[in-house]
Amino acid sequence: MAVTFEEASGSFTSRSGKLMTFVRKNGSIFLIYGLIILIAGTAAISSDTFRSPSNMANILRQSIILGLLAIGQSLVILTGGMDISIDMMARTVALVIATLFAMFNSDPGLILPLILLGVVVGVALGGVNGLLITRTHANPFIITFGVAFILRGVNLAISTTPIRGIPSEYLRIYDTKIGIIAVNVIVMAIIWFLVWLFTTRTRLGRALYAVGGSPRIARLSAIRVNRTLVWAYVLSGFFASLAGLFVLSRMGVGDPGTAEGMTFQSIVAVAVGGISLYGGRGSIVGTLGGVLLLTILSNVFNLIQVNIYYQQLLLGLVVLIAVAAYRSPRTVRSG
Amino acid sequence: MEASSDVSQSNGTILKLSGIDKTFGGTHALADVSFDLKEGEVHALVGENGAGKSTLIKVVTGAYYPDMGTIEVGGEKYQSLRPEQARNLGISVVYQEFNILPELSVAENIFMGAQPKGRLNLIDMGARRKKTYELLERLGAQDSINPNEIVKNLTVGEQQIVEISKALATDAHIIIMDEPSAVLPSRELERLFSVIRVLRAEGHGIIYISHRLNEVFELADRVTVLKDGQHMATKNVAETNNSELVRLMVGRELTDMYPPADNKPGDVLLEVSDIDIDGTVFGVNLHVREGEVLGLAGLGGSGRTTVCRALVGLADIHSGEISYLGKPAPKTAGSASQAGLVLIPEDRKSYGLVLNQSMRFNLALPNLIEFVRGGVLRSRIEKQAVNSMVEDIQIKPPDTEILAESLSGGNQQKVVVGKWLLTNPKLVIFDEPTRGIDVGAKAEIYQRIRELTYKGVGVIMASSELPELFGVSDRILVFYEGRIRGELERKNFSEEAIMRLATATEEKEVPVQGGVDL
Repeated sequence: MAVTFEEASGSFTSRSGKLMTFVRKNGSIFLIYGLIILIAGTAAISSDTFRSPSNMANILRQSIILGLLAIGQSLVILTGGMDISIDMMARTVALVIATLFAMFNSDPGLILPLILLGVVVGVALGGVNGLLITRTHANPFIITFGVAFILRGVNLAISTTPIRGIPSEYLRIYDTKIGIIAVNVIVMAIIWFLVWLFTTRTRLGRALYAVGGSPRIARLSAIRVNRTLVWAYVLSGFFASLAGLFVLSRMGVGDPGTAEGMTFQSIVAVAVGGISLYGGRGSIVGTLGGVLLLTILSNVFNLIQVNIYYQQLLLGLVVLIAVAAYRSPRTVRSG
Repeated sequence: MEASSDVSQSNGTILKLSGIDKTFGGTHALADVSFDLKEGEVHALVGENGAGKSTLIKVVTGAYYPDMGTIEVGGEKYQSLRPEQARNLGISVVYQEFNILPELSVAENIFMGAQPKGRLNLIDMGARRKKTYELLERLGAQDSINPNEIVKNLTVGEQQIVEISKALATDAHIIIMDEPSAVLPSRELERLFSVIRVLRAEGHGIIYISHRLNEVFELADRVTVLKDGQHMATKNVAETNNSELVRLMVGRELTDMYPPADNKPGDVLLEVSDIDIDGTVFGVNLHVREGEVLGLAGLGGSGRTTVCRALVGLADIHSGEISYLGKPAPKTAGSASQAGLVLIPEDRKSYGLVLNQSMRFNLALPNLIEFVRGGVLRSRIEKQAVNSMVEDIQIKPPDTEILAESLSGGNQQKVVVGKWLLTNPKLVIFDEPTRGIDVGAKAEIYQRIRELTYKGVGVIMASSELPELFGVSDRILVFYEGRIRGELERKNFSEEAIMRLATATEEKEVPVQGGVDL
C-alpha cells in the first residue's frame, strides 16, 4: 500500500504536525532561549551574586544600549542590508547633545528640547544612509561604512576629551527606579513589544521581510521597495539616537568613546538571534534573545573575573557555535 | 576504463534496479520499483510531481540509500551506492539548475573535477583546450561554443551542453537528465535533442525526465511511468500513445483537461494601439474584452513576453498608447496591480514567490492593505482570506506555513496564481502559466482561468504550448519577430495555421484559413 507524498505531508495539518512545523520554523528561537536558560541557570546555581535580584535587574539595564542598537540593526538586516554606522550615529548624538548642554550652562529646561534634537539628528543621519543606498544602488555595507568613517571624523572634531556639563536631572533617565527595577527597563520592555508588533503586524514590517526576501518580487507585489529601505535606515538612526542619549545619561559626560565596538556586537546579537544575514528571515524575538545572551555572558565573565581578552575569545566562540547550529539542513524535495 | 569493459554484458543492460523500496517517515516514496537502462537507449521517466522520479534518481546517484532492492550496474549488484561510487561507475546527472561556475571558462568548467596535468604537475591548458574542443565536436557544438568563453556569456542551451560535456569528461556512460527542456527556449530544444541523439549513437544510456509527453515520443525508445511511488508500466514508445501515458500518470482519463468554452465576452477592457518597444516590438495593436481569453502565440523571442511586461509597466514603451478601462494604463507594476491589472510571470522563482517565506506570506503580500484595521494587520482576517484561497486553488497539503521553496513546481505556480487572484483583478496576464508543472496541476490552472472569465475578468495568456492555447483561448494572436502576424478565431484554430504565421512560411498547398488577418 503506497501513500503519496501529498497525502503524507497532508497529515502535517494535524495538531502534532502543526507543533512540528512551529518548532522547525522557530528552531533558532528555541535554541537561543534554551542557551540563555542553560547559561543563566548554571551561573545562578554556582554564584549567589549572579542570582541576586539586584544583579538580575542590573543585567536588564545593561542590555538596553545593545538592545536599542540591535533593534535598528535587525530592521536593516531584515531588508538584506547592514548598518555599520550605528555606533557612530549614537556617538554623534551623545557628543552633540553634551556640547549643547555645556554651551548653555547645563540648563535643565533644555533637557526635553535637546532629547528631541538628538532624535532628529539620528533620524536625519539614518535618512542620509537610506537615500544614499536607494539612489546609488550601492552595497549598504559600503555606504554605511563610509558614513561611519565621516561621523568618526566629525566626532573627533567635536571633542577628544569627555564633555562635562550634563545637568544632573538628565541622569535620572538612567537612575530612576521603581523598587529595584529601573524605569528605563520598563520602557525598554515596551519598546521591544512595540517593535515586535511593528515587524509582525504592520504593512511596513511585512514589507521589510518581502524586500529582504526578494526586492524584485516585492516590487511586483506592489510594495514600494525604496521607501521601505529608507524607512529601515531611518529607524536604525532613530534607535541609534536613543542609544546615544541613554549612554549620555549613564556616563554623565559626553564620552568620545561612546558605543565603541557596538556595531559589531549588534550584528552578533542579530545573527545569534537567528535573523538571516541575507535578509528576509528571522524574528525580533530572536534578537531580544541574542541581546540577553550577550549581556548575561558579559555579566558572568565579569563576576568570575575573566580577563577581558578571553572575554572576546569566548564571545567569538559563541558566534561560531551559533552559526554552526543554524546551518539549516537542506530541504528534500520529491518529484 | 572499467566502465567501458562492463558495457558488453548480456543484452546491453547497463543499469538495473530491482524491487527498490524507499520510505520517509512512514511514507512510501518508492514501493517495489524496477527500472532498467540499456546501452544506446533513451529511457524516459514520467510521472506527476511527487510520483517518485527524483527519489528514484537519488537512489541511482547515491544521494539516498534504498530500504530494499538491488542496484545492478557494471555487472555488480549493490544494496546501495555512495555518491562518489556512483560517479566512479559512470553515473552522471544533468540537473535543471546547472552545476557550473558562471565566471570560469568552458574548458575550466568541463575539467573542473579532473584537470589534465602537464609538467611539474601544473594544469596543461593546451591539452585542456584541445580535449574540450574534441568533446564539443562530438556533440556538434564546436562552432557555437568556444572553449575559452566565460560560461555566463553562453545561452542557457549552450550552458546545458557544457554541463553534458562535463559529464562526458568524467567518462559517464549513464547520463540522467532532469527536465532538461524545461529551462530551454523553444529554439534551443532542437539542438538539445540532436546532442541526445549523438549520445545515444555513441552507446550511452540516457534517463530522460520530462513533463512534456511530445518530447518522450520524439526522443525516447522506452518510457517508464511512476505514480505515487509505484511502477505503473514500462512501454516501448512505439507501442503506446499520449492518452495511455496520461491515463497511467494521472490514474484517470483526462478528457476534461480543458474546461468548456462557455464564457461570454463583454466590453473592451484593455486596448493597445500601435505600440513600439525598444527595437523588439513594432506597431502592435490588440484588445481584450471582459470575460475573454486572448491567447498570444509565437516562438520564443517573438515579442510575446515583452508585450505582456509592457502592459503592466515593466517595459519602456517607445510610442503608441495603452488604454485600460477607457483611461491611459498605469505606468508602474505597483499602480497596475492596484488598478486590477496583474501579470503572472513566466519565471516563478525569480519573479513570482519569495521562496524563503511561507505560503501565507506570499499569498498575502500584494493584499496586505485588505487586512489592515486601524493601522495593524489583523492576522485573523489574513488567515481567513489565505485559507479560503488555498481551498479555492486546491493546494495540497493546505499547510499555509510551509515554505514556498519546499512546494512542488505545480503548487508554487498555484500560489503565484492565488496571490494575484486574491487581489480581485480585472485583467490577468499569464505568461507560460503551466511551464514545468504536471498534467493534473495544468488542468486545474485551466479551470481557474475559465472561472475568471465567468466573473467577467479579462485574460491574456502567452504560451508556447499550442494545445493549451487551443483549449483555453477565444482568440489567438500570433507574434513573429516583434509584430503580430495574424489573428485566429476559435473556429479556425489549427496547428498548421499557427505555425505558418509563427514561422512566417508561405504554404502554397494549404489555403490561408478564414479569419487570418495578414
